Amino acid sequence: MIRLGAESSKMREIELDDVFLSRLQLLIIMSKAYLNGYPLGRHRIKSILENAKHVKVEAEGLDEDLELFGDDDGCANTLGFDSAFYQRVKLLSVMAEAIAKGHDLESHKREALEKNLNAVCEIITFNKRVSDIQFLKVA
Amino acid sequence: MYSVNREVLPFENGLDAWIYFESSGAPDIVVADVILAELSGTELSEKVKGLNRNTVVILYSHLSEREALARQAGADAFLAKPFGVSEIFNLVQRFVVDGQPSG
Repeated sequence: MIRLGAESSKMREIELDDVFLSRLQLLIIMSKAYLNGYPLGRHRIKSILENAKHVKVEAEGLDEDLELFGDDDGCANTLGFDSAFYQRVKLLSVMAEAIAKGHDLESHKREALEKNLNAVCEIITFNKRVSDIQFLKVA
Repeated sequence: MYSVNREVLPFENGLDAWIYFESSGAPDIVVADVILAELSGTELSEKVKGLNRNTVVILYSHLSEREALARQAGADAFLAKPFGVSEIFNLVQRFVVDGQPSG
């Protein structure tokens, strides 16, 4: 039997923050796949739309919490990201949604998407809460 | 290009899954919590392996003591919560793309 996942001492239930980060990671991978010319099948289109919707709503909520309760409130900002990060995530979800809906991105929009993706990946890489950065190898 | 093209069927509990498998045949892969209502993931694992020993069983839990239960039930993999997308990719690569159950 193979064993994967958290170390025994760090095992716990999956929380909403974990789901947000996993969906964001999937969105990053699928957006990079698009930029690298991989075709969009119906499963990937469905997955992009679902993940983009979830990530956008969560990013808006987390950003609002930051605005209402501030950076210092541990409860409001458990992930440790700032408002600029959530703005980038919202932009990523809007662009990913456009891709899934069949809008071909012009070259300047593709560049903007790539820049945004790289910035999001960089922020995630240095976030303490994000232990799973192996996904970046896939991306 | 490799195409996975598998059907994914969700069930409310272990018993519902077993009733379906009993009539329709064992699936390629079962993913379940170690503890489930009606019929636990470990019981489901044993029953499905009895139906087809080649079916891959992946059990997950948020409690470390349940890893031993998964092993006893003959599971091929144990996923300790919380897990990330890399672990899912690892399992898909191993059991879907390569199609290799663990020894």
